[in-house]
Amino acid sequence: MTAVVIGASSGLGRALSVELARTGHAVLLVASDARDLAALAADLQLRHGVQVGTLALDLAVAADPGARVMEALAGLPTIRALLLPVGMSRSDDDGSLGPAAIGQLLAINLHAPIAVAHALLPALLESRAAIVGFGSIAGARGRSRNIVYAAAKRGLETFFESLRHRHLPTALRVQFYRLGFLRSNLTFGMKLPLPAAEPEVVARKVIAGLRKGSFDRYQPRWWGMIALIVRCLPWFAFRRMKD
Amino acid sequence: MSRRGFALAETELRSFDRSVVARCHVQRPDRYRLIEALPADVQRITRGGGVSYVGASFASDSVVQDLGAFDRLLEFDAQRGLITVEAGARIGDVVRFALAHGWLLPVAPGHPRATIGGCIAADVHGKNPARDGTFRRHVEAIELFDPVSGWIAASAEENAGRFAACFAGFGIPGLIGSATLRLAPAAHAYSLRSIVVADLAEAREVLLAHAGAPLLYGWHDGRPGHFGRGVIRFGLEAKSEQHTPRRPLPDLPSAVEPWPITAWNRLGITMMNGWIRQRWCRSDSRHVAIESALFPLNDARRYFAGFGKPGFVEAQWLVPHARFVEFAATLAAEVARQRPRISLIASKLFDGEADGFRFDGKGISLAIQMPQPQAPAQAAFIESLTELAILHGGRPNLIKDSSLRADSARRAITRFDEARAALRQFDPHELQRSEMTRRLQL
Repeated sequence: MTAVVIGASSGLGRALSVELARTGHAVLLVASDARDLAALAADLQLRHGVQVGTLALDLAVAADPGARVMEALAGLPTIRALLLPVGMSRSDDDGSLGPAAIGQLLAINLHAPIAVAHALLPALLESRAAIVGFGSIAGARGRSRNIVYAAAKRGLETFFESLRHRHLPTALRVQFYRLGFLRSNLTFGMKLPLPAAEPEVVARKVIAGLRKGSFDRYQPRWWGMIALIVRCLPWFAFRRMKD
Repeated sequence: MSRRGFALAETELRSFDRSVVARCHVQRPDRYRLIEALPADVQRITRGGGVSYVGASFASDSVVQDLGAFDRLLEFDAQRGLITVEAGARIGDVVRFALAHGWLLPVAPGHPRATIGGCIAADVHGKNPARDGTFRRHVEAIELFDPVSGWIAASAEENAGRFAACFAGFGIPGLIGSATLRLAPAAHAYSLRSIVVADLAEAREVLLAHAGAPLLYGWHDGRPGHFGRGVIRFGLEAKSEQHTPRRPLPDLPSAVEPWPITAWNRLGITMMNGWIRQRWCRSDSRHVAIESALFPLNDARRYFAGFGKPGFVEAQWLVPHARFVEFAATLAAEVARQRPRISLIASKLFDGEADGFRFDGKGISLAIQMPQPQAPAQAAFIESLTELAILHGGRPNLIKDSSLRADSARRAITRFDEARAALRQFDPHELQRSEMTRRLQL
């Protein structure tokens, strides 16, 4: 069976791809740069002996990413999981972005995951598969940083809630993870107020949970408590939070 | 500096021997475009496993490009024994993959977390350099990134000058991105034997007599009164699959947490030597898994921790055969006079050609490890050792000795300036700089 990973070349996407291959899944890796994909695909094939397809696709400009992914699935075993660990943030996402930059953030964080999910939905339903989305703790409450990114992640969360509302877990397992800080290139060099999780650890939990039905949870789980506290903070206190 | 396109972390980096430390700006690219994102005029140095003893992979005024994410296997030809890997692949992982497919990388340094790029940049040697040469003998091709020219393919046929310069080039000819390695058929295990020797002169005779063994190295006591006595260990390929008594140990970490005190005082060194004699100086043969034989440092975590926070220094000199016996005798006399604390001496046989900054030639190498290198008595002995080695035609291993000064290296390495120019022709703006290249004025 095949798992599709959108945003496979780095961070959590790469860790998920490795874990899927390690557990014997064929994978279709989708990312923007063909060089990164070729290297990862070769490594997964050599180390784990699984079938690997690749698709180099710039989600910021692709008109119909879902159709491209469907084409790339030809020749691979039946799709059983779609994972969407794709994301992009910018340090200047503070309300000063121009329309092109806003479009890019929305395309990668919101439009592309929804478009790919829509395109693959019939195939996913046919094989009673799992679809896995990834939100961010940044979407817990709107702040003066990561403005567009957080809005997009909140939008994605709503999309997954709708999917879960629409489909019974027996027909489509809809899983959504709100991620805390991850040790990846996005957070490298940042002084974080709370510990960052290793992508490999999160990936193991996500892949182990693929068969577990539909849910919406924090990962690592203790971030649920942090999010609850942040949501409960009165406005005057929340406004003072910098990190 | 702008952070667009890449992230930099400010962090403290330290050499494995704990003698070199610097606060550095580190980039940890995980995609090829992020390697290329660093502006072409930025001073930089590539970092692999970070296990060199000399600060070869960092500098306070360079951006450190950490290739830890570039650790993938790219191609494997199981018929011809060729493997292409990214430069950040750890030698231990590559060896384990090759062994699982019946192949062996004949040259591997003792630390399994050294990366392939690091092994090339230092042109490391393995367990018998007289038989297997240094790392460069087993490299078919390299792809490297030059900040100005971009990606360059290099091999003996294509860009041969830059290809040759990469070995013991310490990162100066460019960032090594990937390499194709030639493997050799692997044995099932090694049958390991030990020969007790009374001194270093006898050690040389035993090393020469077993020059064809795939494993060949000596351990020697460095204490005054016992100086040079020890054991030569040689391993032969086991003819059939044999039971090897121990499972391979976990890989030694890139940095070993030091004990709060230095264990290798005179009493500690005496006890350790007694333990090693008890364990190693037995004439019977025993079978050892190849992985365990290739990475003996996995068994040395407590040994390195025992140096404590001051760390250690390893001086490694290759002395020509004709001068070795005299060198060993003079060194023994100097040890008796100065009574330094030497925790370990390792001997190896070399049979290559000295060239550039490579640690190779025809002779015997002695690696001498000492605790607390900053202590005045220890520092004085290191100075004497350097002078003695140079006096006897010794060649230093630049990637090992963090105490070696530029003027000593210049005296010890013939045509030093020529070798330096041969490297810097590929980096005319001197962008590739580490703490090691600065200290040695490379």
